Amino acid sequence: MRALDQYNPITIAVYYLAVAGIAMLCMHPVLLFLSLCGALALCLMRRDLRTRTHANFAAFFALSVLINPLFSHNGATVLLVINNAPITAEALFFGATSGLAVLAVLYWFASFSAIMKSDKLLYLFGKLSPRLSMILSMALRYVSLFAEQAKRIKQAQIALGLYKEDNIIDRVRGGLRIFSVLISWALENGIVTAGSMAARGYGAGRRSHFSIFWFSWRDALVLCLTLLLGAGTLIPYALGTVTFTFYPTLHLHSAGALSYLCYLSYGALVALPILIETEDTVKWKYLRSKI
Amino acid sequence: MEILALENLTFSYPQSTRRVLDTVSFSIKEGEFCVMCGATGSGKSTLLRLCKPSLAPTGQLDGQILFKGTPLDRLSSRDAAMKIGFVCQQPDQQIVCDKVWHELAFGLENLGLPQKEIALRVAEMASYLGIEPWYDKPVSALSGGQKQLLCLASVMVMHPDVLILDEPTSQLDPIAAAEFIHTLKKLNRDFSLTVLIAEHRLEELVPICDRLIVLEKGGLLGSDAPLSLMPSIAQRPQLLASMPSAVRIACALGQKRYPLSVRQGREMLAELPAPRVRALPEQTALHGQSKALQLTDVHFRYARELPDVLSSLSLSLYEGETLCMLGGNGSGKSTLLAVAAGIFKPYAGKIEVLGKKIGQYKGQALYDQCLSLLPQDVQTVFLCNTVHEELADAKVDHSALPFDLSHLLNTHPYDLSGGEQQLVALAKALATKPRVLLMDEPTKGLDAEKKAQLIEILRALKADGVSILIVTHDVEFAALCADRCVLLFRGQAVSDALPRAFFAENNFYTTAARRLSRGFLDNAVTTQDVSALYGKEGTP
Repeated sequence: MRALDQYNPITIAVYYLAVAGIAMLCMHPVLLFLSLCGALALCLMRRDLRTRTHANFAAFFALSVLINPLFSHNGATVLLVINNAPITAEALFFGATSGLAVLAVLYWFASFSAIMKSDKLLYLFGKLSPRLSMILSMALRYVSLFAEQAKRIKQAQIALGLYKEDNIIDRVRGGLRIFSVLISWALENGIVTAGSMAARGYGAGRRSHFSIFWFSWRDALVLCLTLLLGAGTLIPYALGTVTFTFYPTLHLHSAGALSYLCYLSYGALVALPILIETEDTVKWKYLRSKI
Repeated sequence: MEILALENLTFSYPQSTRRVLDTVSFSIKEGEFCVMCGATGSGKSTLLRLCKPSLAPTGQLDGQILFKGTPLDRLSSRDAAMKIGFVCQQPDQQIVCDKVWHELAFGLENLGLPQKEIALRVAEMASYLGIEPWYDKPVSALSGGQKQLLCLASVMVMHPDVLILDEPTSQLDPIAAAEFIHTLKKLNRDFSLTVLIAEHRLEELVPICDRLIVLEKGGLLGSDAPLSLMPSIAQRPQLLASMPSAVRIACALGQKRYPLSVRQGREMLAELPAPRVRALPEQTALHGQSKALQLTDVHFRYARELPDVLSSLSLSLYEGETLCMLGGNGSGKSTLLAVAAGIFKPYAGKIEVLGKKIGQYKGQALYDQCLSLLPQDVQTVFLCNTVHEELADAKVDHSALPFDLSHLLNTHPYDLSGGEQQLVALAKALATKPRVLLMDEPTKGLDAEKKAQLIEILRALKADGVSILIVTHDVEFAALCADRCVLLFRGQAVSDALPRAFFAENNFYTTAARRLSRGFLDNAVTTQDVSALYGKEGTP
């Protein structure tokens, strides 16, 4: 029993790469619709986004639906004519499909960034280069430390009557002073940090890499499923068995079993995290009922 | 077995003829809990750093340090990192990584241990020291005490034979400091870990240590069990001032014995003839009726969805009085000062400074000859490269200061000792000639001598008519300098009394002198009170 964010970062990264990558590559309304449904369901289920973000995403979608027919006048079905320019149903549908693509990718990324917290990203970088991951970890620590110290310096100076924000010149001057004192603070305290690192044997030999993530059979399962379903979607698509033409008229080509394999595979891929989350919730509810 | 032995250690910094350490020799046995004390500048830090090869300062070194019979310079860097643990003052600057678990693993990663062994050692240490609840938090979300515990744990995972600590509790409040010391004692008792600690705050340390190492101007005054050293310490008022209250009372009463803990102190008082007078006269409030600062039903929270930090808080600071506000960690003391200084706006309630609503002060008017706040971390006050520039920047009038800074003028503010930094920061806070002075934990990291000096300065300021509000954890300090004490609990001021009554009423949140004299005396709260009452017996 593991929720999505408890999987190994590699599994998670590969999954999001596959599912969002297909949404970016394939300009196909059916696949994109599946993709959006899955991403939206996942975000709603995990409550990763605020209502306002959803509203922004929706506005973005509406904009892309409306803008394409204003500039593209291809297509056979004319709906109305504005200033001698025809607005066609095909152009409208093309706009909707590309809006769908952007929307789906946005939701996948939103969900990805909610799940991949800094320590998971560091783990991924650590697999590429342990030194890079160490530097990133220190950088993350220092960003928060500096921001906090800058705030405290500003407050201290205000309360001593040495910091003014009355006009723009004062504000710039005050900001520069705080920045310069922050630099000397950082250099001064960097010596302590360097000492603390040396005291714990930094540079004494080859480093190893520790992480709190492990790779279980469930990770292997999800990883295999991701690769299989990804291949099941992309191969039929690459073979040209599922295509969609927008101009001059909308036309969906589906060539037998292979096209169904494509839809089914992608549908399953999109549903995978939802299944994982649901399984986790249901199991937890069941187990809790026994307590 | 001797784990650490110093043989005729003499050290001077480059381009200086002054010997920071002068033929110091002593040795420490395995499993001993050793406390090193001495005034600021007596060479404590230098000595401790010389014992840790990667931190040893450069300079002229004679004599040698033996670790388990091997000279330190012949120890491999891997062994030196592993076997000798070192923890210093500033918890924030010692931490390298952004997550607690990563910080714990850092040293073991450096040694190149396999993942499995790191996992085991880190898990073991995290559960032993109670770090588990915040194991995967970012370091920035921890309190000061938790950070210092993390520093200790990240050294302990390397399984050192000896642990060296340089003033580890000076940046912590007394409660967190006592917990930290308790953890050290536990490690020492459970694993026979050798501990060598230098500290200013000795009230809790001296009673539990096996060996006291006393440095005086770079030379060794003695290295022995605390009881055997007490006669020579008692001869030196400066050293005695940092010792536990029980010893100070015994010395003031001219006793020839040296009780170290509150319990031993009570045993001593029980054997002495009862004093004729059990109580000192009650204090009377000395302030006027006009209020320098008035908070009425103030509510404050940091964000809409967070809980109240201050809820329905009412507090008055009268003109010309020194008010000490005490309270545990997270009771909202520092927040209260920031709200009173106009840095944070309360969402409800009224704040008046010198009879005028805080909102009516436009622009800088509130901070001009009116109110000033000295923050807890005085390093945030400094902006320049020398003390001289620092004072010129704030337009400090030297002649008006109640203390002298002339010997520090050419030093960088960061190179000053904790007490000196506090004084320079105070000078900057006084530059605007405030009539209301707010101070946040002014005694943090101060030795006994500087604390006494600070009390003198506060008295001088009070005589000039400055109203002072001090937020502090330091009960001994509050008992000495306050005109009135307030206890802050869950965002409200719950108890408000004159210091003698305040500390006499409290059972736990009170001074060591009061805990020691409870039942023998009615309202003695400082060591001076106790010795004054017992002293009366001798002079009829």
